[in-house]
Amino acid sequence: MGKLFRALVIILLMGLIGTPAALASGEDDDFDPVHHTADGYYLDFQPIGKVELPRIFLMRDANGSIGVDFFGGTASALRSGRYVAEVDESHGDEAHEGDAAETGHAQAGDVEALIASGAHLDAHLVPAAGSVIIDFSITRHLIFSLLGAGIVLIIFLRLAGRYKRGIGRETAPQGLFQNLFETLIVFIRDDVARPNLGDEHYKKFLPYLLTVFFFILVCNLLGLVPFGATATSNLMITSVLATFTFFFTQINGSKDHWKHVFWPPDMPILVKFLLIPTEIMGLFTKPIALAIRLFANMTAGHLVILSLVGLIFTFGGLFGPIAGYGVAPVSIAFTLFVNLLEILIAFIQAYIFTILSALFIGMAVAEHSHHDHEHEHAHEPAALAHGTAPAIIGDGAAETAEQAPALAPAS
Amino acid sequence: MKIIIAADLLNANFGLVIWLGIIFLLLLIILKRYAWGPITSALEDRERTIGESMQQAEKALAEARQLQADNERARREAEQEAQRLLRDAREEADRLRGEEVQKTREAIQHMRDQAQDEIEREKDSALDALRAEVADLAIQAAEKILQTNLDAPSQRRLVENFIDDLPKN
Repeated sequence: MGKLFRALVIILLMGLIGTPAALASGEDDDFDPVHHTADGYYLDFQPIGKVELPRIFLMRDANGSIGVDFFGGTASALRSGRYVAEVDESHGDEAHEGDAAETGHAQAGDVEALIASGAHLDAHLVPAAGSVIIDFSITRHLIFSLLGAGIVLIIFLRLAGRYKRGIGRETAPQGLFQNLFETLIVFIRDDVARPNLGDEHYKKFLPYLLTVFFFILVCNLLGLVPFGATATSNLMITSVLATFTFFFTQINGSKDHWKHVFWPPDMPILVKFLLIPTEIMGLFTKPIALAIRLFANMTAGHLVILSLVGLIFTFGGLFGPIAGYGVAPVSIAFTLFVNLLEILIAFIQAYIFTILSALFIGMAVAEHSHHDHEHEHAHEPAALAHGTAPAIIGDGAAETAEQAPALAPAS
Repeated sequence: MKIIIAADLLNANFGLVIWLGIIFLLLLIILKRYAWGPITSALEDRERTIGESMQQAEKALAEARQLQADNERARREAEQEAQRLLRDAREEADRLRGEEVQKTREAIQHMRDQAQDEIEREKDSALDALRAEVADLAIQAAEKILQTNLDAPSQRRLVENFIDDLPKN
């Protein structure tokens, strides 16, 4: 306990030492937590520096032909003259985008000034001529999801190697590495996949659930690493993951699943016509909720951390350096606490995404073995998830159950 | 120059979607083929082995218990048999000894009876012999007396007195 306390005091004092440097480096910018949480076309290793990431554009040029433009970074894209930084039209006193395209040479000085200021990294690039079809530029979150995928790949290929050698197959698992990950795998299999998908279906979806769980978990945790970024705090990335769940759900939907969506049984005709749109909407709200839940939770945690750190600068800026020093220990103590909370949330959100995916897939693949006796068995769990009137209650319950853990970290 | 910031929290970046879709799909395929397959099959193998081992252990335990119970019963039976044999032997021994004693007693009785008879017979013969001896002695005495002139009546009286004085037996 004494050691822990001493360590805490040291960390807080380090804040006092670090504050002047941070204040000095950040004195001209406003500290913007949203900007730091958002995606970008560079890796941020401040105060060491920033690394620009390649810019790749699938674009249609002025002649209408489709081509791919590849640049080493945003700066080289700007210097090439083929792309310009989009300017805010409301500030009419600055040079217009059209003018820039026409007078490339006159603009060159501006481009160098922009690059020198470092602001070009945050600029939205538009082609000088033609239009971008899809911007395939490598972003920070893409790099970190690649990194996450790589880490997951390395961990589990190594783990699989151990099992292939017979360690854990014929003998007990050995070592922290194998025991730790085996525990998680068995947890996903026995407490997530099997209860939600049933004994006959779980094997088919277990690889997906394991992949999505560990990918999200590693991405979440990478966000807590210094200089790291949270790929899962990007709505695009969480949407992709949710889309995978959506396709797994719909492709494997049983006959009963589709029947309940398009022709809910045991209902008066009029109610059926009310329910069908609701059910169709339900197909999409589930994955959308998945995507937004993960995104919002991961973003919120980082915004809280950055805002707490930002308090130092805010106080320093408003009331002078002394106030900055004064706030630093409190701020760092809270940041430490939220960081620890974030570790918990990293696990919780990976778990929630996985268990809800399992639940949605499980609801879709479930088949009613006694279709003729549905009246008698209207309150079976499977029927509850699928049935018409109970379906609304069931879905509502599922939604509230989802909200509870989702809300918990936000509080 | 006020530039438009490219990145905000909610901007739609379809390039990223496509990239991540490909990455995640590859991750899923590679892991499914080379990681989850071997791992889950290994886990299932191990669980099956453990389950079977436990079943076998349980069966072995049940067998051992059965064996122990059998042994216990056999031992008890053997013990009972031994006790029964011992009891029988003792009874037999008792019976035999009783018989022996009875026989001996009878033999002793028989011998005693024989001896009694013998003694009786010896006594009778002895008495007879004595009687004859006495008569002879008497006659010799009488002769002596006669030789000393005793009259006949006196002699007779003497002899008869003498005989009367003799014990009857």
